[in-house]
Amino acid sequence: MQVVAQAQRVPAPSSVGNRWLRDAIGLALIVAAGLAGYWLFPDNLALLTRVIAVALLVLSLDLITGYCGVASLGQASLFGAGAYAAGIACVNGVTEPLTLIVIGAVAGAAAGLLMGTIMLRAHGLAQLVLSIAIVQLFHEAANKASAYTGGSDGLAGLTVSPLFGLFEFDLWGQTAYLFGLALLVVVFVVLKFIVSSPFGMLCRGIKQDPIRIRAMGSFVFPVLLKMFVISGAVAGMGGALAAISTQVVGLDSVSFELSANALVMLVLGGLGSLYGALVGTVIFMGFEHIVSAINPFHWMTMVGALLIAVVLAAPGGLSGVLETITRSARRSKGGRP
Amino acid sequence: MKVSKAILGAAIGALLTGSAMADTIKVGIIGPFSGPFALQGKNFQAGVEAYMALNGKSVKGHDIEVIYRDLPAANPAQSRALAQELVVKEKVQYLGGVYFTPDAMAITPLLKQANTPLVIFNAATSAIMTQSPLVVRTSFTTAQTTSPSGKIATERGVKKVISAVSDYGPGVDAEAAFKKAFEAAGGQVVEAIRMPLNTTDFSPIMQRVRDSGAEAVFAFLPSGPTTLGFVKAYNETGLKQAGIKFFAPGDLTQESDLPALGDGAVGLLTTFHYAVSHDSPENKKFVEAATKAVGGADQLSFPSVGAYDGMHVIYKMIEATDGKQDAQKAVDAVKGLSWTSPRGPVSIDAETRHITENIYLREVVKGPDGKTYNKEIQTFPNQKDPGLATQ
Repeated sequence: MQVVAQAQRVPAPSSVGNRWLRDAIGLALIVAAGLAGYWLFPDNLALLTRVIAVALLVLSLDLITGYCGVASLGQASLFGAGAYAAGIACVNGVTEPLTLIVIGAVAGAAAGLLMGTIMLRAHGLAQLVLSIAIVQLFHEAANKASAYTGGSDGLAGLTVSPLFGLFEFDLWGQTAYLFGLALLVVVFVVLKFIVSSPFGMLCRGIKQDPIRIRAMGSFVFPVLLKMFVISGAVAGMGGALAAISTQVVGLDSVSFELSANALVMLVLGGLGSLYGALVGTVIFMGFEHIVSAINPFHWMTMVGALLIAVVLAAPGGLSGVLETITRSARRSKGGRP
Repeated sequence: MKVSKAILGAAIGALLTGSAMADTIKVGIIGPFSGPFALQGKNFQAGVEAYMALNGKSVKGHDIEVIYRDLPAANPAQSRALAQELVVKEKVQYLGGVYFTPDAMAITPLLKQANTPLVIFNAATSAIMTQSPLVVRTSFTTAQTTSPSGKIATERGVKKVISAVSDYGPGVDAEAAFKKAFEAAGGQVVEAIRMPLNTTDFSPIMQRVRDSGAEAVFAFLPSGPTTLGFVKAYNETGLKQAGIKFFAPGDLTQESDLPALGDGAVGLLTTFHYAVSHDSPENKKFVEAATKAVGGADQLSFPSVGAYDGMHVIYKMIEATDGKQDAQKAVDAVKGLSWTSPRGPVSIDAETRHITENIYLREVVKGPDGKTYNKEIQTFPNQKDPGLATQ
């Protein structure tokens, strides 16, 4: 887990106005990219919706791994908690999509509270192992409780009512995609506020040196636990979005594989940056989709090669590369580094 | 939403004109073509290619094009995305394949809107058929292949059986189907053990089998290393020598696993819908063509025949609709369809749209060339899916 242990590069302090401007541009770029996806790939909206759901999962992982330094290979337990909660609610007659998202968020937050309470008792490698144990337990619980979850057959028969009573979740997936995009943008803005708040800064401080933070008079455990709950809510919303858009919830949504993939995407995009989480998800899933369509039989090799290339060439992730480029550009323009 | 409606219209328009004008009819096949289940996906491909090699690549002047999409493990969200893409972007008229049940469940809600039938080559849970009237299945269900073993056990003088299944959907289905069939035939299941999916050490299980005083063990595990471990433990702990019989559905002794099981598998009794060794001219032709497609005789197993017959159904659908996209008409056309498959005589049940087929009792025996194979020793003709029949 050297990635996690790696010291965080602290960005040069910039004026507050500058930061607002940068975030506004970033947000505009996300919306533009999302809408571009809508216009350019109208035939791939199901995939793009799935990318958004996974992006929420990766964002949630970034909160605890990138900002708090708690590595987790079990983040899918929070995603799955949201997915199953929304799915079970939907099967039992709660079909309003916004309500389902809220249910997913609450379930995810509750799972985050539980997971945080357990994981934060340990440190380092033991913590990582605990996270794997937790996701396996969640997986087994979902498998065992097949009366409620459908077990390995999946929870089917979700019929989501139209959004605002107008827009149906249909085959072409436009409603699901735009709904997902709006959700992602709202979550992103909220998370931006959270990570740049004093609470967010405290989390970063804990990541860099928990002992010093403790010496300064702050409690570490409740701060991290709070972040776990927030992270759970975000992952839970991702799970609920996946449940709404695919109308089925499978055991894969609480799998170790999904958790590991989320971590891979995060590392690919760059830890400790919300943009990195998004970039990593889009690049990873897009690449995976393209190569698996070109060669459905041997595409995994190419994905492996990409990951090795990125880790060797850009250990800070893709957003790290972007940052280096912009910084050197600024320097060449004569600006302060 | 005005603009999106326009796109919607354009998409529908493209869909309609695309299918009416084009001489090429596209068939989208979703299966596990990479990862741990790649061999099963390869068998899908072998079945499809064998059918097209033997029956031509066009129906009534419409060329058939097959598009493969990879789904390495059970992943309903991905499954839905792939199906949606195949329908909307690739404009396939037929969907086929699907190895895992949850993946099929994720596709069924799309079918009506997509005006596309789904022909399932494998996914073996009864409930899928009730999800959409546009699903046809050419594989089997666990209940269908398991039920005859209840009768067989009593015929062989076994009164008490202990069941040991992996603790997941198909395992629990098999346990229930066996119990029902065996108790109906007058037997008694003395104990039902559910083993965690990733169990590798089976000696404690064997001890429980021995202690239970049962005369036979009924087992269901996913194919692969777990089955291997279970059969090994059965031999090595002396249960086989003690005369405790072994019954299982044929998933456990599928042909591609037999080389790994080795001599230890000899004498195992399994019930299944297809054995590569099935003696018929249709099967000889099929095995020859499919072996060529899969790349080795050892790798051929049951998903290939599901795919082969699935393609037969799709060809019949294309024939009936003359290349026009009409899912309901296509499905109606194959209801009650019967033909001689490589596995024997089969038909599509008009009511359930699931295949009616012979189930065979097979014994693993050693051939003259020293290789083990499944030898069919008893036939249970025209078995329907008991899981669907009771609903």
